[in-house]
Amino acid sequence: MIYGDKKTGVLVQGATGRQGEFHIGLMNAYARQVGGRGVVAGVTPGKGGQQVHGVPVYNTVKESMREHDTGAAVIFVPAGAAADSIMEDANAGIPTIVCITEHIPVHDTMKAVAYARAQGSSVIGPNCPGILSPGEVKMGIMPAQLFSCGNVGVISRSGTLTYEVVDELTRAGIGQSTVVGIGGDPVIGQTFVDVLERFRHDPQTKAVVLIGEVGGNLEEEGAQSTDLPIVAYIAGKSAPPDKRMGHAGAIVEGGEGDARSKITRLRKLGVPVASRPSEIPEMVLGLFRSC
Amino acid sequence: MKLREHEAKKVLQDAGIAIPAGFLINAPEELPAHLPALGDRIVLKAQVDVGGRGKAGGILMADPATAVATAREMFSKEIKGLPVRQVLAEQRLDVKHEYYLSITVDRSSRQPLVLFADAGGVDIETTAREHPEAIRKDIINPLLRDIPPFMLRDLIGSAPKEIGPVINRLYHAFCDRDAILAEINPLVTTPQGVYAADAKFIVDDNALGRQGVTVNRDLSEREREAEKRGFSYVELGGNIGVIGNGAGLTMATLDLIEFYGGRAANFLDVGGGAESERVMHAVRLVAGVPPVKVIVVNLLGGITKCDEVARGIISAGISQKVIVRLAGTNEAAGRQLLAEKGYEMLDTMDLVVKKAVEVAAT
Repeated sequence: MIYGDKKTGVLVQGATGRQGEFHIGLMNAYARQVGGRGVVAGVTPGKGGQQVHGVPVYNTVKESMREHDTGAAVIFVPAGAAADSIMEDANAGIPTIVCITEHIPVHDTMKAVAYARAQGSSVIGPNCPGILSPGEVKMGIMPAQLFSCGNVGVISRSGTLTYEVVDELTRAGIGQSTVVGIGGDPVIGQTFVDVLERFRHDPQTKAVVLIGEVGGNLEEEGAQSTDLPIVAYIAGKSAPPDKRMGHAGAIVEGGEGDARSKITRLRKLGVPVASRPSEIPEMVLGLFRSC
Repeated sequence: MKLREHEAKKVLQDAGIAIPAGFLINAPEELPAHLPALGDRIVLKAQVDVGGRGKAGGILMADPATAVATAREMFSKEIKGLPVRQVLAEQRLDVKHEYYLSITVDRSSRQPLVLFADAGGVDIETTAREHPEAIRKDIINPLLRDIPPFMLRDLIGSAPKEIGPVINRLYHAFCDRDAILAEINPLVTTPQGVYAADAKFIVDDNALGRQGVTVNRDLSEREREAEKRGFSYVELGGNIGVIGNGAGLTMATLDLIEFYGGRAANFLDVGGGAESERVMHAVRLVAGVPPVKVIVVNLLGGITKCDEVARGIISAGISQKVIVRLAGTNEAAGRQLLAEKGYEMLDTMDLVVKKAVEVAAT
């Protein structure tokens, strides 16, 4: 596993909101199932003293940190305040910060990510489904019932497409070490390069599925940065130029970042690229056969 | 959202960057009143939301004697299919040299990227190909309020020193106005000083609210209607309607349609936790696109309730065929509801897409 395990105490920002409350319930159901610590504290300014599913809520992250040993934070606060939450977590010294929130202005994200870096924290997201290490920890909103333990890492810019691929892997008997949704925004904290570096140092991870999409060239940068065996899939071959395809970051701009040129560059780097999600399991098995 | 040239120039002017004397006119008759302030050499620029307007006849030169006639000519034509409703009448500058300046959001470094080139007036992609040595770039830590002087010196190289403060002012405008692109091309030196002869400015769609923008002009009417309902929607022109949850899964569905030889009509991401009413609106919206013959619904997720989705599809009551792939809670109940009404529900996205392509081809 990377970023966290059973022993990681998780803090949830926006704990008393609809999303926060709902997912504290699911994260702690998973923690009970695997024998982990799960969510140990929540934070919502002005709601200190309340409880959500038995989890104590504090007004500030610093207050919560005085009472609980916390290794990661998951953020569910609205877009206007989410960047502030990232900085509050980083300021309190939380090493892993998962930001689920979508629609944060990119200037706010740039500042928050730069600040978190300076504080030595890693930001996952924003606009992401979080992290799930099967049998260890769930930090985010991924549907745990689709996952299974194993040694294939998954890194993705998407949410539901990740679940689709994980479901295909699990059905084919291929378990996962850790699945990381890095987020669909143009500026994100941890990119493919960073997560692949973590996987390289993770003894459990033997191969990685990289799920990318149109926009930017982070997929190619990632593939170039590692010697781990990779299978890739790129969504958006049929995306027209200059149109945002749902994700703020999924846009072909200035003739760059289109799916076909991404796929060509990945193949040049020796990375097998699936043309359909359903081809991924067979290609992963192919990696294991060839090594 | 892209700003029009006159809006972008106003932003630059507010940031303290000099722009040519100019007036926005809505009809040729408005021009004579402004002629005294425009001098002997005038340029008329159509304010239309398309790129490459110069080559399409959207920029015309004039003098005080011909200006009104030229303006009349411009108002009477279409630029790349768009009518000209506004024209920017500007004084032509006495140009000594043209430079290129832009600031963008760099995904790799997660920070603003400044590009400055000695060669202006041509697009930066061409300069990058033909004269890469003419381009200088630097990444700015977004926590800095100002670009440090050493970085400005590094960027401008042998170009006149007066350009340094212009770069810093553009950086301020870039940050304060939530831009994802701020471009001055060309940035020109004249005997009177440094001017922004043209300007391009794109505002972050996620910051339109706090920038006081209420209507995103970059979206079509149907796209705007979809946005109001919380959907992401893009029109694509084929005859297979698509509804998915999550941008990646929906894009993958479109790609699969192409893989099996069909053509998607649209991209529609309904978002998470879709309830019956949202699904109903999504189905009706897609069914309302004229060439749509069949609709693929591909919803996957732990929290999506299949019976809710099924009810949404049924209550939409559309005439086209709907083919469904659903995975989530209450799957059996959803399946039964759809089966009772004669809808088709298949197990994988490959199967639904294949089926839809077959139906669309008949």
